[in-house]
Amino acid sequence: MKYPSQQVAKPYFIAALALFVGQIVFGLIAGLQYLHGTFLFPELPFDVAHMSHTNLLIVWLLMAFMGAAYFIVPEEAQTELYSPRLALVTFWVFLIAAALTIVAYLFVPYAQLAAITGNAALPTMGRGYLEQPLPTKIGIVLVALSLLFNVTMTLIKGRKTSINLILVGSLWGLALLFLPAFYFPHDTVKASFGWWWIVHGWVEGDWELILGALLGFILIKMTGVDREIVEKWLYIIVAMTLISGIIGIGHHYYYTGAPSYWIWLGSIFSALEPIPFILLIVFSFKMLMQRRREHPNKAAMLWALGTPVMAFLGAGLWGFMITLAPAQYYIHGTNFTAAHGHLAFFGAYAMVSLAIISYAMPLLRGRTANSAAAQRWEMAGFWIMVFSMIGITLALTGAGIVTVFLQRAADDPMGFMQAQDKARVFFWVREFAGVAFFIGLLVYLRSFFIAGEYEYADEMKQALAA
Amino acid sequence: MIETSADSAQPLPGDFAIWIFIFAELVVFGVLFAAYAFARSSHVDVFNASQLTLNRAYGFADTLILVTSSYSVARATLSIKAGSSTACGHWLAGALGLGGLFLVLKSVEFHQDLAQGITLSTNLFYMFYLALTFFHFMHVVMGMAILAVVDYKAYAGRYSAENYTGVETGGSYWHMVDLVWIILFALVYVIH
Amino acid sequence: MQQVFTKAMARNIFLGGAVFFLAIYLLLSYDTWQRIPERDHADKMTPAVLRGKYLLDTNDCIGCHTINGEGAYFAPELGNVYKRRGPEFIKAWIQSQPSGVPGRRQMPNFHFTGNQLDDLVAYLQWLSNIDTNNWPPNIQG
Repeated sequence: MKYPSQQVAKPYFIAALALFVGQIVFGLIAGLQYLHGTFLFPELPFDVAHMSHTNLLIVWLLMAFMGAAYFIVPEEAQTELYSPRLALVTFWVFLIAAALTIVAYLFVPYAQLAAITGNAALPTMGRGYLEQPLPTKIGIVLVALSLLFNVTMTLIKGRKTSINLILVGSLWGLALLFLPAFYFPHDTVKASFGWWWIVHGWVEGDWELILGALLGFILIKMTGVDREIVEKWLYIIVAMTLISGIIGIGHHYYYTGAPSYWIWLGSIFSALEPIPFILLIVFSFKMLMQRRREHPNKAAMLWALGTPVMAFLGAGLWGFMITLAPAQYYIHGTNFTAAHGHLAFFGAYAMVSLAIISYAMPLLRGRTANSAAAQRWEMAGFWIMVFSMIGITLALTGAGIVTVFLQRAADDPMGFMQAQDKARVFFWVREFAGVAFFIGLLVYLRSFFIAGEYEYADEMKQALAA
Repeated sequence: MIETSADSAQPLPGDFAIWIFIFAELVVFGVLFAAYAFARSSHVDVFNASQLTLNRAYGFADTLILVTSSYSVARATLSIKAGSSTACGHWLAGALGLGGLFLVLKSVEFHQDLAQGITLSTNLFYMFYLALTFFHFMHVVMGMAILAVVDYKAYAGRYSAENYTGVETGGSYWHMVDLVWIILFALVYVIH
Repeated sequence: MQQVFTKAMARNIFLGGAVFFLAIYLLLSYDTWQRIPERDHADKMTPAVLRGKYLLDTNDCIGCHTINGEGAYFAPELGNVYKRRGPEFIKAWIQSQPSGVPGRRQMPNFHFTGNQLDDLVAYLQWLSNIDTNNWPPNIQG
């Protein structure tokens, strides 16, 4: 770490991990409710557990992205952050707003929450991922404005690297794409059409740029490869993301009331969406092979290389399986989609967040890398979480296939709950894999509590001294 | 940043980045054409009947215009290699003019389609016809924007017999736009 | 002779590609926006339908159910529930929740009035007439 103001990233990273734990707890509850419907009912109905699970996911990823921005932008710009104090105030505003929102979900019935937060004046509630009451949404905008002001001012007064331009540019995109959250047309089909501007625009567009910038930064720092090479390939990769991904939004418009031509346009362009992920894998491993130094933080390197691989599996491969219109006709709205969602969100965005945290946290704690023991715990956490998430994905895929064959494509189709009962074994596997994931997360978190710095081997010390 | 490629016997003309883009564009058009062929195979009657309503004379004129403009761009590259930036600028201006003519002609055709009430939702053939030709139309606009920048720089004397990568880069993209039209014309207007 | 590959050109392709495809998407969106009202019969969105929709949104129905496949996968599809179950069954079902059957998935009781139930059904009826390209594949949703 080169600039003291980068320290503001630390609370963001810590809060991100705490919220991550919360997300998994609600996920485990919701997963159990699939099997035992009366669990915690009526105190915690499924919809509340579900929206706490998804909202905490969004919030912790945003926390991690913001922490990453406050860490990376000053270092790339080679100057102090414009206002560390503003960043800190923003952190507390965001954390308190997020916590209050979750508490409100848990203790206030949703309809009542809508009534007391002015939803009637400007309806925004009741859409997936965007369940937040109006004050929270306004809070998110204010937090985003503060972040944008801070990093943009830092960028302006400092060095303008491509990593920084892509990162700050995509943060602007993230904020702009959130604005349609305030527009909820009465017409359900229009509302769904516009809802994807936010959801698809984030996860299949803008966030991939953030992912690219974060990964590019980590690779430059850890491999010592020439910045020019990393940056120009980064531009090519994010260009491919937008070439395929912008019209690729059409794969959400097949069966939701939009005109039929989206069946063709969506299939054609979204079929190309795996390309940037393949490029990202090739790029990352090529940078690894061309590395000019052996960075002692092996755990961060593992995260950085794991990210493109898992992102390809989740977003690229699982995404492709459900993207073509004839396949989606049967798969749409089944747990197959949830399988894709889990592996893509984890493989791309959770993992890149954990990668930047893994790289930055030791530096923020005043060391190049954690001790070998701490790294062993962290890498154990990596493998447990990765394999557990693959388990969750396969289980949900199985559940989705059961629905497809019994409820969707059968000659004598079963009712929804009947088909769900036939998939119970898969829901059990998902729940056990979820518990394993939680254990992996605890193992990972344990690594933060192992003191000590990375110790170079004796011969290495002599070489460094010489 | 200049990178030496492994087999530098015959490097691609222009900046390598544009070739990645050209490749991506050809993949997109390739998939679109394949989808067209696939859709046609199960709706041959609709496709054949609707195809007859297209004005092939327009399509043929469009093709001539684009091929000529491609020739003009090729002459611009030769001119700059010979050291004449003015001639290069003139040839590029010619190509731009022909591109503009293409846009005018195609707009007239679109206007006639719209006047007949043809939209993306009319039938599967018109969906593909409009999507493909409009997507290509936008590429012509983009190609002209690129050529305009190159032309401006040529007149400003920014290129020379030693430094002509920019002209080749813009030219390569324009040839791609031309190539795609030729396939499109054959596929959508002619092959029955 | 060397192959040239510049960062500036890579950046231009990124920016140009982004603007280009965004422009095409916006034009397509405009067309879609014009077509949606005929596909979903927007003119049939009566005040009752709108009230029903507001009830559905503010009770987080899509936190468990799907509408045209969008939402959560915990409970049945609502886009065609009107055709699957009919108005009277839907009202009786909502009023009888939660079932309290041990271990079964539970739906809360929302204490809707008779008028509110009528509004909900009106909205569900409107939903069931949207042209969704023949999705879902069958009545089971």
